[in-house]
Amino acid sequence: MPTNLGRFYAATLVIALAILAPPAVAQSTPGVTKDAVVVGGFGPLTGPSYLYGKLFFNGIDVVFDKINAEGGINGRKLVLIREDDRCDPASAIAAVKKLLEQDQVFSISGGGCSNSAIAARQEIEQSGAPWIASGVHDGITRPIAPNIFSVSLTSSIESAAEIAYVQKHGFKRVAIVAMHDSWGRSRYEPLLAMLKDKGITPVADEEVAPDANDSTPQVLRLKQVNPDAIIMLLFPKPGAVFARDAAKLAFKPVLIGQTSISDPVAFEEQVGMPGATANFVTITQVRYMPDSPEVADWSRAVEAKFPGDRLSVYNLNGIGHAQVLAEALRRSGPDLTREKFIAAMDTLRDFHDDTHGGGITCTKEENRCNKTAVWIHKEPGGTVKIVDTTTVE
Amino acid sequence: MLAYLILSGITTGALYALIALGITILFKAAGTVNFAHGELFMMGGFLAYTFVTLLGLPYLLALALAIAGAFVFGIITDRIAFRPLIGSRALGVVLATVGFAFILRGTARILWGGKGDYLSLPPLFAPDPIIWGPLIILPQQLVVIGGTAIVLALFAAFFRLTRLGKMMQATADNAKAARLVGIRIEHIYTLAFGIGAAVAAISAVLMAPLTLLYTDMGFALFVKGFAAAALGGLKSLPGAVIGGLLVGLIESLAAGYIASSFLDISAFVVIMVVLIFCPSGLLGGPAARRV
Repeated sequence: MPTNLGRFYAATLVIALAILAPPAVAQSTPGVTKDAVVVGGFGPLTGPSYLYGKLFFNGIDVVFDKINAEGGINGRKLVLIREDDRCDPASAIAAVKKLLEQDQVFSISGGGCSNSAIAARQEIEQSGAPWIASGVHDGITRPIAPNIFSVSLTSSIESAAEIAYVQKHGFKRVAIVAMHDSWGRSRYEPLLAMLKDKGITPVADEEVAPDANDSTPQVLRLKQVNPDAIIMLLFPKPGAVFARDAAKLAFKPVLIGQTSISDPVAFEEQVGMPGATANFVTITQVRYMPDSPEVADWSRAVEAKFPGDRLSVYNLNGIGHAQVLAEALRRSGPDLTREKFIAAMDTLRDFHDDTHGGGITCTKEENRCNKTAVWIHKEPGGTVKIVDTTTVE
Repeated sequence: MLAYLILSGITTGALYALIALGITILFKAAGTVNFAHGELFMMGGFLAYTFVTLLGLPYLLALALAIAGAFVFGIITDRIAFRPLIGSRALGVVLATVGFAFILRGTARILWGGKGDYLSLPPLFAPDPIIWGPLIILPQQLVVIGGTAIVLALFAAFFRLTRLGKMMQATADNAKAARLVGIRIEHIYTLAFGIGAAVAAISAVLMAPLTLLYTDMGFALFVKGFAAAALGGLKSLPGAVIGGLLVGLIESLAAGYIASSFLDISAFVVIMVVLIFCPSGLLGGPAARRV
């Protein structure tokens, strides 16, 4: 009897432990099970900014599919849950709350619209969930938070790259044409400060509204001071209006763009005037164009999974993003926790994925992990070519 | 510089004038403002894009279909957001049209949201600039200015010469009296919503080659058009056109001669000043006086 009672107690103890203490990972780490890691994505899936959300996540999806087909990471399949923030700050907060509280995701990716991402930052920071951001505003990554990283070029890094381009190409008379909304100011203010540090005084500084339908007054004012290069801190719509009006008035300085206009083919079509983009160069985050043979496999994967889509630079951006995320998951080891993932992100040194312009380096002191801008140009009627690369120190 | 600024102001002003015209036509007939007017403009543009670019229909046929489609959307607006609320407080109608604007925008996001960030509609003529004396002009600018003049002339003739136009005028002047003489004013309201939306679509197809198309474009243009209509007097068709052209010219001249940051605010400052001294707008007639 005592023996049976001992066995009974032992069995009871084992059962109780099994119930009360299931594997530590499954219980304590949101979004992680024995066979899956759930990543939450928020960004614009609809509306004019869908490029920074829907296409970006399509890129992540094809990487996840490839990894999952190869058995996952440490035996876990990767799952992406997308939420549409429509580029609206209030919707972004709601989307992030849903992902963190209802869907219980392991980490967050995206936030391609800066204003929305900034609005959602507090929720994510307080949750402790790792966030690899795709928006460009420095307010997403500054002040530094241990769980927030960016593998996209941020606004001040792009501004530094633009100044480096101006200096490298010997432009003496530089003008600025900028939107003065939150997005524009996130680039405009660091640009002005950096120009001042370099001893460069812009010969003109004009504003174009995000929904401008005409920029003839701005072009005429700029034409009077005869700049040889104009830094355009504009979205594609006002950028296209400005380039068209400049061409209309036979004004032909070099137009220097940034990542919001990183599809020169689409931009040429939007400008809609032959030859108007002949002097336009812009920045992209990725080192290949959609038609490059180096990304042909990714092109096929995107077209197979999303019929009707053609590979875009925004897909490529998502592909690089997902590969950085996957690398940090690998380095976190089989007992995945958010703390281990954050520590693993901090070990990335000059990590090269398939698409980003340069190596990805994250440290505790520098969470803006991508500092390489790739310059592209499209001759009218020709193909898009990479013309330069700038790595900002 | 002055000539370019005036030309640019007139082109942009013509767009505002057409939007103001649509707002005014409805206000004259039904005494209400359709806050979904900007979204009807957007829908007209996207319908044209669908027929021209996606379906490859002949340009003029596509434009006619887009305008007809917008006319139908206008009638739907009447049936959903106005007809059920006739007789209720004006605020209810305003909120209903605001709600319908969000429905239209959401629908457009679903239908066209993944086709590109900013879509271009091909211009009616080749985009190469025309050199005219000291001026360089885009052919589409001339199309916009000419189109606006034609639309204005057609509506002036419609209201002065046609029986339907006179019935709309009568309804606007006194709905009860119009009903007593046998005018079915509900039909007039429906027609006014449809015509207002059709004018929005005309302005969209004229301007889209210059402004690009995107699903969130409606509200900002509605605000400018409404400001132009208010400046003109809200019930006057010539007032809407004059108001639109003035807003465009003030924007252009202020941005050219003062600072580019003045472009968006200058017109509103002038409108505020005008409305302080002339509360009925430039051509709105004397304000009603209680006796």
